[in-house]
Amino acid sequence: MEKLTSPYKWGMVIDLDRCTGCGACVVACQAENNVGICEKQEIAEGRNMHWLRIERFWVGEYPDVRVRFLPVMCQHCQDAPCEPVCPVYASYHNPDGLNGQVYNRCVGTRYCGNNCPYAVRVFNFYPHEWPKPLDNQLSPDITVRARGVMEKCSFCIQRIRRAKEESSAEGRTIQDGEIQPACAQTCPAEAMTFGNLADPASRAARLARSPRRFHLLEHLGTHPSVVYLKGGGREHV
Amino acid sequence: MKRRTFLQLGGMTVASAFLAGCQGQNEKLIPYLIPPDEGVTPGKATYYASSCSGCPAGCGILVRVSEGRAKKIEGNPRHPVNRGRLCARGQAALQELYHPDRIQQPLRRSGPRGSGKFQKISWSEALDLLSDTLKELQQEPNTGSLALLTPQLTGSLATLTGVFMRSFGSTHHLAYELLAPDWLRLANRYSFGQPDLPFYDLAETRYLLSFGADFVENHLSPVQYGNAFGRMRQGRDTVRGHFTYIGGRMSLTGASADRWMPAKPGSEGVLALGLARLILAGSLHDKAALSNSGIRPEELLARLRNYDLQRVADATGLAKNSIVEVAREFATTRPSLAMAGESVAFQSNGLEAVRAIQLLNTLVGNLNRPGGVYPASADPSTGALLRKESSFSELLALIASMRAGKIKAALIKGNPVHTVPPVTGFQEALDTVPFIVSFATVLDDTALQAELILPDHAALESWGDVVPLAGSRTMVYGTMQPVVTPLYDTRQFADVLLATASRLGGPLAAALPEESFVEYLKFSQAQRFSSEKEEDLELLWVELLSGGGHFAPDQAPEKHYRWASSAVIADPPTPAFAGEANKFPLHLQVYPSTAFHDGRGAVLPWLQQLPDPMSTVVWGSWIEINPKTASSLGISQGDLVEVTSPRSSLRLPAVVYPGIRPDMVAIPLGQGHHGGGRYAKDRGVNPLTLLSLLNGKEQLAAWNATRVRVTRISKKGDLVSAGHPEGSYRGDLIGI
Repeated sequence: MEKLTSPYKWGMVIDLDRCTGCGACVVACQAENNVGICEKQEIAEGRNMHWLRIERFWVGEYPDVRVRFLPVMCQHCQDAPCEPVCPVYASYHNPDGLNGQVYNRCVGTRYCGNNCPYAVRVFNFYPHEWPKPLDNQLSPDITVRARGVMEKCSFCIQRIRRAKEESSAEGRTIQDGEIQPACAQTCPAEAMTFGNLADPASRAARLARSPRRFHLLEHLGTHPSVVYLKGGGREHV
Repeated sequence: MKRRTFLQLGGMTVASAFLAGCQGQNEKLIPYLIPPDEGVTPGKATYYASSCSGCPAGCGILVRVSEGRAKKIEGNPRHPVNRGRLCARGQAALQELYHPDRIQQPLRRSGPRGSGKFQKISWSEALDLLSDTLKELQQEPNTGSLALLTPQLTGSLATLTGVFMRSFGSTHHLAYELLAPDWLRLANRYSFGQPDLPFYDLAETRYLLSFGADFVENHLSPVQYGNAFGRMRQGRDTVRGHFTYIGGRMSLTGASADRWMPAKPGSEGVLALGLARLILAGSLHDKAALSNSGIRPEELLARLRNYDLQRVADATGLAKNSIVEVAREFATTRPSLAMAGESVAFQSNGLEAVRAIQLLNTLVGNLNRPGGVYPASADPSTGALLRKESSFSELLALIASMRAGKIKAALIKGNPVHTVPPVTGFQEALDTVPFIVSFATVLDDTALQAELILPDHAALESWGDVVPLAGSRTMVYGTMQPVVTPLYDTRQFADVLLATASRLGGPLAAALPEESFVEYLKFSQAQRFSSEKEEDLELLWVELLSGGGHFAPDQAPEKHYRWASSAVIADPPTPAFAGEANKFPLHLQVYPSTAFHDGRGAVLPWLQQLPDPMSTVVWGSWIEINPKTASSLGISQGDLVEVTSPRSSLRLPAVVYPGIRPDMVAIPLGQGHHGGGRYAKDRGVNPLTLLSLLNGKEQLAAWNATRVRVTRISKKGDLVSAGHPEGSYRGDLIGI
């Protein structure tokens, strides 16, 4: 059988020393990916649909208290716990190293969500409405997910696909910086860098070699494609 | 048929199908039965450059438009203020355009005021009603009975409204915003003899000392400073800028600090002067900079002799060694930078405190230096680049005129009923105005009071120009253009003014002969580049629109800050607070919400759903209480509490917040709308109702000088937070 290879292995580096926790990425993600608007009750039940959330940690007690922010989206694990448990192969691994989700295969068992240690998969427990004319804003590039479907961050795969089509029409490979997911594009502090980790010269790959690097819940051995760089300065130099 | 022939034929069929499929480009797959509109290719998006009008920072945006619908707002990478970046509010501006509760045509009130009963009328009826009323006012001997209330205005709209009011004969144009930096202009005038707002070179500084300047969420130009903050931290190979935040509440900005100094409210000025004394006593000041500023170090040190370490430590409640450390680090880690913010300025001694902070910059030579502070780009007070801002005292003057019955009609753009603190008496004064016209896009609190609603276009349907507030050292002029055809039968505010001018005739029509605001914009361009030929102007106009504005190349402007020779360092007076300490033991801080600014974002569901970064609360208001204070009052996370100030009381849920002084509580601004569409209506509370009025010097209002008491009511606070109060993971587990 022919081996599936790709010159790309998409990944993201998030510099927590730059991140201010402002929340611009959260809204940008929601705008780009047709993420449903959740009512208060829905969020109270723990069923918020955001693909990207900002974890906030209080460290210490007053007056020696600090705050740490941690933007968490799908980590696109190379050994993803969500993939082997899907009975219908809705959750799959693509050759670019992305952890894909095929919405029209999903039957809503939620096994993948249960198995995800990062709690980044969100399930459409309710049908989501875009009261007219809010539906005009919905992006034509992405499906609007129905009730009963699991969804999650795709690293803005529609943007990756578009760049691939354009680059292959021009007979070249995608250049560094050509693709930016909505979150990285809007981040005021430029904390997020997206790129091809298979290309050692890409900006993301260079940043990912920083001594400040760590993976989220590294001990689980999921080998995520998202690399965090520790913030906090003096404590961590 | 033989098996082999079958396979050959089958193979050929498949191959020819593939060949045919490969030929076409994507566009050819969709037959053009009806030729598309010019420039519209199905499935292909177009990007239009415009400017964000969500706050005065005026960032450049690119709007992705597909099949005539706006899909996504992105930052304009060529814009020098935001460099392709955008904040949450800017991202959400799309929903203003497609808000389901937008007013779709002119409305006239049919029930009593505030009842929300309106009947639909046509634009010609509406404009007749408006111009008839204004004509009556013109016939009166006192034509000053018309008032115009707007947010801060820049560019051609500022000029147009100025001409309109002047030609009408009224001086009552109020462009007041609660969060406008008039206090900073005033302090600059005292200290440097000029009112220009500062541009802080955050990206190049090595030591940042912020006295309550919340530049990540709202101070001056948040996206610009958020970006510069990232570069300050990790943009340089060997230097990581240090950040110390001073303020009784750890704000979102303060959360990124390396050191947090929770000084007592109102003691920041004393702290700044104490730091200045330590720097002078240790001879750590910049001697050349001081002699340039005409300050003699010995004299200044003698002047500051009262600010000894013990007194400063007592006044601020901070540890002595941390004050000494910060003084040494600030003076020796150059370039350093001290910023003053709203929470300092909104104290009764705010002006003196802000000036003391400016002295710190002067003392260590941070003025006009890379990594220091410069005057921001020119904002001339005349011509096409006018900026219209009104001070708090002008608001009080207008309220007095309203009360005296001198104002017969008010044209209101914006939502002052929600954003002006009720203690000023604005809302009652507005009730006495017989004719109110609102230009709201949704039925907000102000529109509910109006006689006539003339719905404005959404920002993405509007023409305009913007001079960004203090976001750059060079001149930046941003343009706004409609990216979609208007959804409803609405008209742009400026177009309504022009139509009214032509209906009224006389000097007004002569002063404003243009038929539409686009023409007016083009005309002001022609004035700006008057040396150009006419055909060049048309070309220039197209260039401006396609690029999103005119951005002057990076060159050092002429302006500099220089400590004014007449500037005297005033001692910050002991801070005054409304409410006795024994009855109202807690200091109340109201602060602009990250998502809603002063409340304008609350109508948009994306922003309501955005968890507040610090408390993770969604869809509501909350009060932040220190854990110790909360436990002494028997309050736990999510309890319903009653907050009582000398003026009024409110009920809202409590959030136990480790980053706030035990003698303080804080409530975000923005919620508590009575109108504002389905997403904002009757949600949360407006903490402005709690505030008492205390004036500092020059009638600067002290909005952070009210004391309150908090009592627990029940455990049903209806608080919904998206995150676990402690964070989802154990911090040590992930090594954060």
